[in-house]
Amino acid sequence: MKKHILALLAVAGLVTLACGSGSNQGAQGSTIVLGAPLGLTGSLTKESALTKQGYDLWLDWINKQGGINVNGTKHPVTIKYYDDTSNANQSAVLMQKLITEDKANFLLGPYGSAATATDAAIAEQNQIPMVEANGAAQSIFNQGYKYTFGVLSPANKYLQGVLDMAATLNPKPTKIAMLSADDNFSLEVAQGVNDYATGLGMQVVVYKKYKNGATALTAEVQAAKAVNPDIVLNSGHLAEAIAIHKAAKEQKLNAKIFAYSVGPSTPDFIKSLGKDADYVYDGSQWTPQVKYKSQFYLSVSDYVAAYKAKYPGEGDPDYHVAESTAACLALQRAIEKANSLDAKKVRDALAALDVTTFYGRIKFDSRGINTFKPMVVEQIQGGEHHTVFPSDVADKQPMYPTPSWDQR
Amino acid sequence: MADLVQLVIIGLLAGGIYAAVGVGFSLVWGVLNIVNLAHGALVIVGAYLTWQIFTASGLDPFLTLPIDAVALFAFGYVVQRGVINRIIRAPLLFTFLLTFGLNLIAVNVLLLIFKSDFRSVTTAYSGAGLDLGGIVVPYIRLAALGIALLVAAALALLLNRTRVGLAIQAVGSDRDAAQLVGIDLRHAYAVTYGLGAACAGVAGGLIAMIQAITPTAGEPYTLQAFVVVILGGLGRVSATVVGGLVFGLVEAFAQSIPGSGSVFANAIAFGVMVLVLVTRPQGLLGRLR
Repeated sequence: MKKHILALLAVAGLVTLACGSGSNQGAQGSTIVLGAPLGLTGSLTKESALTKQGYDLWLDWINKQGGINVNGTKHPVTIKYYDDTSNANQSAVLMQKLITEDKANFLLGPYGSAATATDAAIAEQNQIPMVEANGAAQSIFNQGYKYTFGVLSPANKYLQGVLDMAATLNPKPTKIAMLSADDNFSLEVAQGVNDYATGLGMQVVVYKKYKNGATALTAEVQAAKAVNPDIVLNSGHLAEAIAIHKAAKEQKLNAKIFAYSVGPSTPDFIKSLGKDADYVYDGSQWTPQVKYKSQFYLSVSDYVAAYKAKYPGEGDPDYHVAESTAACLALQRAIEKANSLDAKKVRDALAALDVTTFYGRIKFDSRGINTFKPMVVEQIQGGEHHTVFPSDVADKQPMYPTPSWDQR
Repeated sequence: MADLVQLVIIGLLAGGIYAAVGVGFSLVWGVLNIVNLAHGALVIVGAYLTWQIFTASGLDPFLTLPIDAVALFAFGYVVQRGVINRIIRAPLLFTFLLTFGLNLIAVNVLLLIFKSDFRSVTTAYSGAGLDLGGIVVPYIRLAALGIALLVAAALALLLNRTRVGLAIQAVGSDRDAAQLVGIDLRHAYAVTYGLGAACAGVAGGLIAMIQAITPTAGEPYTLQAFVVVILGGLGRVSATVVGGLVFGLVEAFAQSIPGSGSVFANAIAFGVMVLVLVTRPQGLLGRLR
């Protein structure tokens, strides 16, 4: 037993030495504990893994800097993760555990609107700020919560960028077929389209909802084909986007624009569909091509390079990764501004935050959601993602119209 | 009219997959009296096998199906002989717990090996199909339906015409009597589970060509297999095939309800199942036992 204690002391001494000899100045403060439940198993493992990559990328960087600077003292950071099995209720239970047992100072969001909604209630009860990057449903932010902040553009904006772009194209597409999963987030995306289309002289001629997570969607695609639409929109997730695109090819549903809210931005979409993935658009929170002037942390190109160095073989970071990193940045900046680890003071600093990062502008409206950053439109061209709208951040022109299936 | 025909075709083609998934589940349930909660996981193991072989060697995915069947048979035989046989006479709850546990293990091993990425077998002919005056029949789905029917026919032949098959049926109707006439129960159980797993493997290979797969994609198939077997009736291969096709049709028609009606496609399919249970508890084609 004594030997063990001695060994531990020796290791502790070495660690202290190692830290002391680093480049950081100032005294070493107490460790800041951040907590995040993520779906490390279950149906949201892919998206949750991307979220974790985004958090960990920042964690490495901030600890290399010595930690977060509060009143001249650098506080190293750890993130405590739990597996919520992709279950929103479990996520809330674990959030409470992170607060009471693990004494988390601040919270990072889980993946998905459902879990974020249940976790936001826990953050509010305990008055601990949660900065989240993966719950875009406005219903989360319409509850009057004061402790939940989302760095991403809200759900209703997801596909509006695609419509803005479509309005500039020639010949102008007008007939929209809207397919949507029946979860809150997807329905808000679809509602955003319904509200927005008429103002641009377009109309939603068919609007079909399907069960969230469905993979047999041929009949829905057939219903869209029946109205011969110019634009096929899907508001769902990766699995449904792949299923719909496969069914569109099988059923020979030809449209000028195929745009899906979530899915095409991930490497899996291209890997699963091969050449068929070409021409597909998506509304994206962020792309590796955007041109934002970063006020702190990394520039866009350095961020992409840092991601590729840490996760080789995964391609470019997709927006789930970037927005998750952005959530950490918002929290970091707020702690620095507050110059305190006090939950209330950091909350106030978050509410007042206005900063531009590699991810774009981060500023929260009175509800706590970032309505100040525009969505960008991506298109898959030749098996690669390109930003095609808005034109001031785009690197390619949209390839329009999409050729029919038998002419590809 | 053309829309209606198209919808029937969509339903039947989807139903072929459900039938393929259902036959193995039905066999294991009928003979071993085990509701195999790991069935969906076995399906996805077959799907990953096809994907892995296709990606590594470029072998046509249809040619991987026999490999899926043999590999899954061996796997199923070992699992039954080594694990499930130990609780075969225990109360139903134990078999639930055990197969649920097997499901968790299989899914998480797949997650470790393949991660949660979405994978799909995309060949040169993926998505292509016959176009009969506006009515579309995708080749892969058509072939999948054909193979599902073939697998079912082969299984029925095996059960009714071979010594092993008759032994399995004997075990299904009376374990103790079967043992008395000299049937090696443990072997018969293991062959049964192996056959169920082999059918699941073939179904999985077909699914890998039709949809994108992840390690967790099997769970809905366990549920669907359950409904299909209830619909058709337990104990006969042909009944399961009919159950699968009916389920596919009901689902396709429910999905075609305009607006948000299609959200209830699953609920409607389950509603039909309840209706069948109430009016014909033995299933559409089942025999009372």
